[in-house]
Amino acid sequence: MERSNLFLITGVIAAGLVVFFNFDTSNTQKSQVAEIEGELNIYNWSDYIAEDTIANFEAETGVRVTYDLYDSNEVLEAKMLAGSSGYDLVVPTADFLARGREAGAYQDMDLSKIPNASNQDPEIQDQANKMVGSASAGLVYMWGSTGIAYNEAMIAERLGDDAPTDSWSLILNPENAAKLEDCGIAILDAPTDVLPNVMTYLGYPGTSTDKAHFEAAGDALSAIRPYLRYINSSQSINDIANGDICAAIMWSGDAFQAAYRAEDAENGHVIDYYIPDEGTNLWFDVMAIPADAKNIDNAYKFVDYMMRADVAAENVNYVWYASGNKAAKPDIDPDILSHPGIYPTEKAKEKLFVTPVYDAKTDRIVTRVWNRFSAGN
Amino acid sequence: MTPFIRIQNISKKFGKLLAVDDVSFNLERGELFSLLGPSGCGKTTLLRMLAGFEKPSEGYIEIDGQNMANVDPADRPVNIMFQSYALFPHMSVSNNIAYGLKRASLPSDEIKARVEELLRLVHLSGMGARKPSTLSGGQRQRVALARALARRPKLLLLDEPLAALDKKLRSETQFELVNIQEQLGTTFIVVTHDQEEAMTLSTRIGVMDNGKLVQTATPNEIYEKPETRFVADFVGDISFLEATVIERTGKYWLMEAATPIYAIGSSTLTSGMKVSLAIRPEKITLTSQSTGHLNEFPVEIEDWAFYGAGTQYKVIGPDGIKLKVYQSHNQPSHANPRHLETGFVHFSPDATIILEG
Amino acid sequence: MHSLLQKFGRLLVIWLPLGWLGIFFMLPLVEMVNVSLSEARRAVPPYNPAFQIGKDGISFQPVVDNYLLIYEYWEDYLWPAVNSVRLAFFSTLYCLLFAYPMAWWIARSNKSLQHILLVLILMPFWTSSLLRMYALIGLLNPNGVINDFLIWAGITVTPIQMMQTDFSIYSGMILTYLPLMILPLYASLVRLDNSVLEAAADLGAKNWDIFRTIILPLSMPGVIAGCLLVFIPAVGEFVIPALLGGPEQLMLGKVIWTEFFRNRDWPVAAAIAIILIAIIILPIVYARYQDKESIS
Ligand SMILES: Nc1ncnc2c1ncn2[C@@H]1O[C@H](COP(=O)(O)OP(=O)(O)OP(=O)(O)O)[C@@H](O)[C@H]1O
Ligand SMILES: [Mg+2]
Repeated sequence: MERSNLFLITGVIAAGLVVFFNFDTSNTQKSQVAEIEGELNIYNWSDYIAEDTIANFEAETGVRVTYDLYDSNEVLEAKMLAGSSGYDLVVPTADFLARGREAGAYQDMDLSKIPNASNQDPEIQDQANKMVGSASAGLVYMWGSTGIAYNEAMIAERLGDDAPTDSWSLILNPENAAKLEDCGIAILDAPTDVLPNVMTYLGYPGTSTDKAHFEAAGDALSAIRPYLRYINSSQSINDIANGDICAAIMWSGDAFQAAYRAEDAENGHVIDYYIPDEGTNLWFDVMAIPADAKNIDNAYKFVDYMMRADVAAENVNYVWYASGNKAAKPDIDPDILSHPGIYPTEKAKEKLFVTPVYDAKTDRIVTRVWNRFSAGN
Repeated sequence: MTPFIRIQNISKKFGKLLAVDDVSFNLERGELFSLLGPSGCGKTTLLRMLAGFEKPSEGYIEIDGQNMANVDPADRPVNIMFQSYALFPHMSVSNNIAYGLKRASLPSDEIKARVEELLRLVHLSGMGARKPSTLSGGQRQRVALARALARRPKLLLLDEPLAALDKKLRSETQFELVNIQEQLGTTFIVVTHDQEEAMTLSTRIGVMDNGKLVQTATPNEIYEKPETRFVADFVGDISFLEATVIERTGKYWLMEAATPIYAIGSSTLTSGMKVSLAIRPEKITLTSQSTGHLNEFPVEIEDWAFYGAGTQYKVIGPDGIKLKVYQSHNQPSHANPRHLETGFVHFSPDATIILEG
Repeated sequence: MHSLLQKFGRLLVIWLPLGWLGIFFMLPLVEMVNVSLSEARRAVPPYNPAFQIGKDGISFQPVVDNYLLIYEYWEDYLWPAVNSVRLAFFSTLYCLLFAYPMAWWIARSNKSLQHILLVLILMPFWTSSLLRMYALIGLLNPNGVINDFLIWAGITVTPIQMMQTDFSIYSGMILTYLPLMILPLYASLVRLDNSVLEAAADLGAKNWDIFRTIILPLSMPGVIAGCLLVFIPAVGEFVIPALLGGPEQLMLGKVIWTEFFRNRDWPVAAAIAIILIAIIILPIVYARYQDKESIS
């Protein structure tokens, strides 16, 4: 009896340790090179860089890179706000960067140390700078939109040829949503990327911080809630590629990843993505240096490398997001450059907007509206 | 008239091991039967077959005219008292005793009365509310007994009921057990490997060896007339002499076992036959001088041990034959024989037991 | 010298576990209370600690605003809490129903097999729980393994919708928490003496009766321990319902998550967690403690 108890306890402790250590190690990739010119710790989104970029950088500079991955701004932000993250370079979305700077979590970037900064598209960088409130917060890596991804055949079958595949109403109009219920609708679990767009659909400015506007958007979402399969950010890429859902509010890059997967699987599903005519919010992911970074020089070296036209183009061709790099355009796959869902047309650009950085009170309103919607009351 | 309990040609195999081997015996109503035998001889297995926990590989069990072959343990008119008592640790003494009664769906006031009665029977009145863990070993044993008795079984099985008790408590409880058995008239089968316990308790004893029932008889018969060398040896102290039959002389047989010995034996013996002569230590008399009795020979005293009521000697006779001798201290005629280094022993031819083969 | 060493050893044996508990259990809890009484701000860290040891000595300036805010919007927290308790309750119940026969079977098999089975039970802990959830999605999807099989076997024509249902949520919960239920049940069931069961059968009890009157009461410590081990973490669970469930599953864990990550309001997140501990977990632990007292 004693022995089997002991066995049990050892087992439970062992299991506990395994669970404990499993948490964060899975995302870490370590690369090694022979001559070491110091280190660089990067924390970036998953699936957000060409496969050999890091290795090439290491070979060229001799810097040893530790490259960790996250898949939500919130996780990154929590690490930055807690302090002592140990990272030298991170890639927050502009509004998160703005808040982080306000909290003192980031340092200014000295652009004179980045010769290739001149490759940047000033139009894009200016919008991001406006949002962050500083011209030296960092350089835009990629930017994109929020729109609708859909399965062409399934939508045509249910809504006919005049399906509104140019409007938010494809999903936000309850009549349409009801018809699509059986093939599956999903919505991003990202209130700041969904609520402003619902507001534009309702005719309010997407940049509004008016409580009433948010609540109206919440009500509009609640109206289609009965027809939703789920509210989730990570699952819809796979599901729409497999034909398990047929329409989803998604980020542009995710949608193209899904389209690519469906094509690759040859499962007969054709996925497309559009920016609705009512307009949508733009987001910018910015390379920035945390306040307590230790290897600042190497961080500059890396940003400069990433800003090289050929490197930037390779990354775009791999991840299918629009680059902040103007000089890279000649090297970018024409299919990408000409896709209105990635590089919007001039006409569409008029309707694009940048949401303001919400203060704590607005954050709370947004969250409350969103939670009420997802809780169904 | 058919017997109350009939056990016929019962065998039990565990894989290749024959744990119980072709056992048959009958019991009358109200008997207190002891199963006696060395460890591992199959006593518990036999009991478990009677209680229904093991299915016999072969054979037939009948209780009060009813074939037990397809009767569940729960439905047999048999209860068992486990060696470990197996009391229900989460129930009070009263609830332990009432357990079987509740299964029988008796009215609750009847159960209450019966539990009180049983508590009185086993001298535990007033302890009904206690948990088993707060009782002494002897008290637990009595709770187990009361619980097994509660359903008024036709047959009560007790597997080494007294093994966990110290010697004094044990002999007290032995008498109590007999009292209760006589009071209730229930048929008991008691398993023990303590031969003294078997003697004290039983109306009859069955001796088991290696799965077989080798002899079934009253305690007295088992002691005085063992049928095999195993039984003789297992029950009580005994000495063996290897002897050769010479001839019949009147009432006795003359034998040669280093010294001539007269013994009582059946008429099936023939001259020249090799036999074992067995004799109990207390049947032998040790003297310092020769007394001229029949079956007397000189011995050397090798060793002795004092037992209070008597003294046990180990002596060596002619040709190295070894005997155990027990001298009760109520015989002052042999003053201090234990100081002797040599002496004489003699015993009556009627005290000998002849075991063939 | 020798006895001094022994004395030291004894002190170590007593204080090491206490120190462990203090450092890894009590301190974080105390820190959480501290955060819940602090004021949120945009800084690193994103709150102004109520209790502080700094250059100007020790200061303690608690604010109760975080608790007041929860009180003011109690409806926003109550329904997720109800969802969470319902999820935890049924998860615990299903785990118990599945685990009991398994634990019984393991406890009744022979010793060497028991050890193998226990290792197998613990095996899932060697892969991350998220991976296991994705494996489950792969099984339950409309074009997942199970539906493929059902269609191939001609049992159904169109795929059965198993994902985003209660079925998928509870499958995930059971998959994750079952070992925590099996182990304590097993520990209490192996202890069960076979002769006690035979005694019950001998006294006229049939199978169900034996289970109800003997096995269940004697395994109750295991049942309670298992239920606590499942219920307490299940109340805070939200990843599994988010991955496997439909839109209707807003869990308290998710609410705490949104307070923490979306509102960046660490103090309110901490306050909800403290209230959760006070309302749900403390009473359970207290009742358990009372129970123990009354038995011994
Ligand atoms: N379930 C079982 N499986 C296999 N062998 C068994 C089983 N039960 C008993 N045996 C074997 O059968 C033989 C008889 O066992 P049993 O328990 O009946 O002996 P016993 O006479 O009661 O011994 P003791 O006096 O030590 O209690 C032993 O060799 C034992 O190892
Ligand atoms: Mg036995």
